[in-house]
Amino acid sequence: MRTTTVYKCGSPSPQELCRFLSEYSALLLGCGATCIRLENNVQRIAEAYGKEISMVIMPRHVQISVWEKGNDEAVTAISTVKSSPISFNVNTRLSELSWEVADGKTDFNQAAERLGKIVKDDRQDKWTVPVLVALANASFCRLFSGDAVAMLTVLAATLAGYSLKTFLLGRGTDNRLAFFICSFVSSVLGATDILFAIGDTPTTAMATSVLYLVPGIPYLNSFSDMLCRHYICAFCRFMDAIVLTGCLSAGLCCGMLLMNVGMF
Amino acid sequence: MWNIYFQDALFAAIAAIGFASISKPPKRAYIYCALTAAAGHSFRLMLTNGSTMHMHITIATLLAAFLIGTIAVFLSPLAKTPAETYLFPALLPMIPGIYAYKAFGGLAMCILRNGHDIFNSYFYLFATNAITCTSIILCMVIGATTPIFIFKKTSFQATR
Repeated sequence: MRTTTVYKCGSPSPQELCRFLSEYSALLLGCGATCIRLENNVQRIAEAYGKEISMVIMPRHVQISVWEKGNDEAVTAISTVKSSPISFNVNTRLSELSWEVADGKTDFNQAAERLGKIVKDDRQDKWTVPVLVALANASFCRLFSGDAVAMLTVLAATLAGYSLKTFLLGRGTDNRLAFFICSFVSSVLGATDILFAIGDTPTTAMATSVLYLVPGIPYLNSFSDMLCRHYICAFCRFMDAIVLTGCLSAGLCCGMLLMNVGMF
Repeated sequence: MWNIYFQDALFAAIAAIGFASISKPPKRAYIYCALTAAAGHSFRLMLTNGSTMHMHITIATLLAAFLIGTIAVFLSPLAKTPAETYLFPALLPMIPGIYAYKAFGGLAMCILRNGHDIFNSYFYLFATNAITCTSIILCMVIGATTPIFIFKKTSFQATR
């Protein structure tokens, strides 16, 4: 005999919740969250609506099954992870949303509405970031004992390289190719001190001119996933980071060959 | 002496803010990124500095990352953001980028250059840098994420 479940207003059916969680997971994983955070947040939302869930996290897809407690019928959805730039703002706001659902501060319809808005509202000032990154890389140069001339060279090389990266990625260029080109441009500009024999630490300028491209967050996320035994995601993130490091090293090597500079 | 640590903390803070901006943190998190990075990086310098502890960079990174992780976990409820938001950017100034691409450079030279001794020399360059880079990253992540798991309740309820 089939039974019909009547859901109260604000309490989603397993189908609705499954669709919501599937989209939520794709966004959260795509913005650079670790697997353990994804598991915790999704579990928290499901518990708030009294549902049971099971999930499979793969590097490019997330599969979620949702069912009522004490009912064998499960609804399953598979979503493709949104390949978006890393955004801790989205990560924070999605985590906040999970707590608001858990604490009963927002109902299901409001939560579903906010989910779409969170990504739409995630904007950044396109002029401030290149300047901040250039200053950061110049500071990095200082941390590696670079002098003021080297810091200025790195500042210019990073500003040019990062602006080029934003332009190329905005035009839909493959990020590996973009990393190669930006690394090449930054290293050629970073070799200015060596070329004109200015400053006391020209090799530091060249070596640090490409460091803004090192994919630090993917490296950290991969090891974090590994510690939580999400080995497939960990391996995938690690390989992505390795490939990008390889591209930036290739760009640096080409820049060094062009400028006839030996560093290795 | 303290001037060196102050400079290191200052430049690490600027580096953390700049690199954090790439990964779009909430605006309120920038100050915490700077504080965490400044504390962690200058602490590592103190541990590796010859005139104080002269510790190996890998072990020093592990301890500095643990400090960064602990600070991040206890600051996260104040900032109402997940600890990773400023934990990871604070670790970025410690990412061994130079080791990483020196390893790739060594590997490229192994392929491009001929000769037994030259190959050995470049393979040594590749292997030492790759091992150092991997062990530093591993220590960074273990050190920084251990406090998240020790103080699980605090760290996962930060955005509540």
